[in-house]
Amino acid sequence: MLAVINARLETLTNGVIEEGTLLVKDGKIAELGADVKVPEGAKVIDAKGRTITPGIVEAHSHAGINEKGIGSAGSDANEGTSPITPWCHAKDGINMLAADFDEFREAGITATGVLPGSANLLGGTAVAVKTKNTAIVEEAIFAEIGMKSALGQNPKGKYGRANKAPSTRMGNAALLREALLKAQQYTNKKDAGEDVKFDKTMESLVPVMKKELPILIHCHRADDIVTAIRICKEFGLKYTLEHVTEGYLVVDHILENDSLCAVGPTMFYGSKVENRERDFRTPIAFSKAGVRFCFTTDHAVIAGRHLRTTAGIAVSWGMDRDEALKAITLYSARHMGQDHRIGSLEVGKDADFVIWSGDPLCFLTHADVTVVEGNVVYEREVL
Amino acid sequence: MLLIKNAKIYPVVGDMIESGQILIDDNGKISAIGQTVDAPADVNEMDLSGKIVTPGLIDIHTHVGIWGDGEGADSMDGNEKPDAINPKVNALDSTNPHQRSFEGAREGGITTMQIVPGSGNPIGGLGFACKSYGTIIDEMVIKNPTGLKGALGENPKNLHGNMLKHAPSTRMGTAGLIREYFEETKAYMAKKDAAEKEGKSFDIDMKYEPGVMVLKKEIPLRLHAHRHDDIVTAVRLCQELDVEFSIEHCTDGYKIADYLAKNNVLACVGPGLSNSSKVETADFTDANPAILHKAGVKVCLMTDHPFLNTRHFMVYGAVSARYGISFEDVLKMMTINPAEALGLEDRVGSLEVGKDADFLVYDGHPFSYKTKLEATYIEGQKVWEKPVY
Repeated sequence: MLAVINARLETLTNGVIEEGTLLVKDGKIAELGADVKVPEGAKVIDAKGRTITPGIVEAHSHAGINEKGIGSAGSDANEGTSPITPWCHAKDGINMLAADFDEFREAGITATGVLPGSANLLGGTAVAVKTKNTAIVEEAIFAEIGMKSALGQNPKGKYGRANKAPSTRMGNAALLREALLKAQQYTNKKDAGEDVKFDKTMESLVPVMKKELPILIHCHRADDIVTAIRICKEFGLKYTLEHVTEGYLVVDHILENDSLCAVGPTMFYGSKVENRERDFRTPIAFSKAGVRFCFTTDHAVIAGRHLRTTAGIAVSWGMDRDEALKAITLYSARHMGQDHRIGSLEVGKDADFVIWSGDPLCFLTHADVTVVEGNVVYEREVL
Repeated sequence: MLLIKNAKIYPVVGDMIESGQILIDDNGKISAIGQTVDAPADVNEMDLSGKIVTPGLIDIHTHVGIWGDGEGADSMDGNEKPDAINPKVNALDSTNPHQRSFEGAREGGITTMQIVPGSGNPIGGLGFACKSYGTIIDEMVIKNPTGLKGALGENPKNLHGNMLKHAPSTRMGTAGLIREYFEETKAYMAKKDAAEKEGKSFDIDMKYEPGVMVLKKEIPLRLHAHRHDDIVTAVRLCQELDVEFSIEHCTDGYKIADYLAKNNVLACVGPGLSNSSKVETADFTDANPAILHKAGVKVCLMTDHPFLNTRHFMVYGAVSARYGISFEDVLKMMTINPAEALGLEDRVGSLEVGKDADFLVYDGHPFSYKTKLEATYIEGQKVWEKPVY
């Protein structure tokens, strides 16, 4: 049993509790409130009035799979030998001992989606991991969150330059449709009890066709966003939109379709033609219109530790402060389909939280203590 | 003439003024600053009650206009290939002032910047300083050249050794080629001086003229170095050559801060908020500027745009302050320190009489995430205003 006392608890779902106590049992939040008694024998952390929020959640990163600081040796996010590689699985490419996870713990990030890259139309299965101190990826993974897909420049650029398909946007869409159509037929045959020959590509898409797993589609330009929605509707898929740089141009369309969006890396420059319009227009427009979105750094495109920096900058552009904080915690959890488990301080949710030296969105604030499932995974040395 | 009134002013040189005035003449120069100043009766007044005014920021090292912001490969004009020693190029001739990165600089509060060639070459060419607003780059330039760019570490050996299959392919190869260039330059200089003395004609060689400027201490050598040993190599090379120099990036500087202080090294630190995209930047920390500053090293902050988007330059300052530097000291790293490092301290870098009226108007403390930079002014003219999204 762990008890954190004398804390300002920003629960995100039930307001702020001043001088509160948070109890942790078996890695879950057991109780929280202003009048909670500390059980005998509990390990006590005195927050000394500091603010506690749920752990920061990065919904779209390449932590440990495109490892920072070690060059091409740590580049394992794109199986760039064919545009259709849904049979890849991020769990087989993640190095939990990568420096990325040290950075995340120090920044108060307690959970992250780790996605395959965007070179391929279908890139592989993405997972959600906790930033635990472990070398064993199975101990960190707590969910499969989707099948990575990509439209736009990356697939047509990578393969087109090598004189292979796809080499155009319509080629991107056609090859993606073809794979989904085959997977649909494969799934139908299996469901009908027909004898189908095992196919690793088709097999990996069965959960997508059955809507058990969403497809996570990289799309920057407005027309790529619209294409993503079109294809997903054609096949009746669960999906999320990733990056959504020009989302501000098609807000109503996204709203009508109630698409979940991970917006970012918003602090980055226009590194490609497809993201040349990148700035804070999209998150502000989404926020005003009520589009369901979270922020992403696309770590390590922007360093994951600056996810909360991104949320802070969004406030300077007019976003509501509490919404901005939710867009890096609760809404990131929702984006990954994990908001029943993480993203806010509520009884029964995982005890993933951070003790901050000040307002978590303030650029001058440090994460002082990071806790994952009741275990302190990082504590700042105060000199 | 323009009179700014009722602003909280951080002039950088001189004390903060809680509620002050700045008088700007028709040439865009500051003609008076203080709690109250004498202004003519017909002056245009700008009431900045509740606002904070700082000097425009100076980005000491950036690739604005030469690095294809949002334009793809066709506008990548930072590294001239294939020669490893490429002093004859000048970033000025690559710079597109219509590129969106210029507007990004203004949005980031940057009014003056040094634009330098990339770091693919051991000697990469000349850099220059300009204002961030205009149509014709020649009308925006305020000093040219401001230094000769060189690079150590990963980039030259990757571009030349790995990709182009010629020297340098190692760190010692890079240092060797830089030494060789300056030895050749010395020989060239001796011949040129002798010819001049004897009144003989002499064929100018563009390759060596920038080297001569460096050896005569007319411009500094600005050496890209991230890893601590590359930084030490840069210091060694420049001390051997007896030239003025700056360390550009200085990512591992915090590991050797005392050494840098002892050798009076100018550290141009950045890109801030880095993602450690290379092995040589693996040990990047946001605490670097604070550690260097506390050790007594003179620090300038840089965006290295696009590697830190110029729009977020002040956020870099704020995050640096997290590790124990005051707002005033961080502001110096983004204003007067780079002005001095560029030899432009008579014109920009602080709000003082006689200097350019380059300033920023904030609606709160510049380090707060709730604050908006409302407008950027260059020489008394509004060049950027925060749009409402």
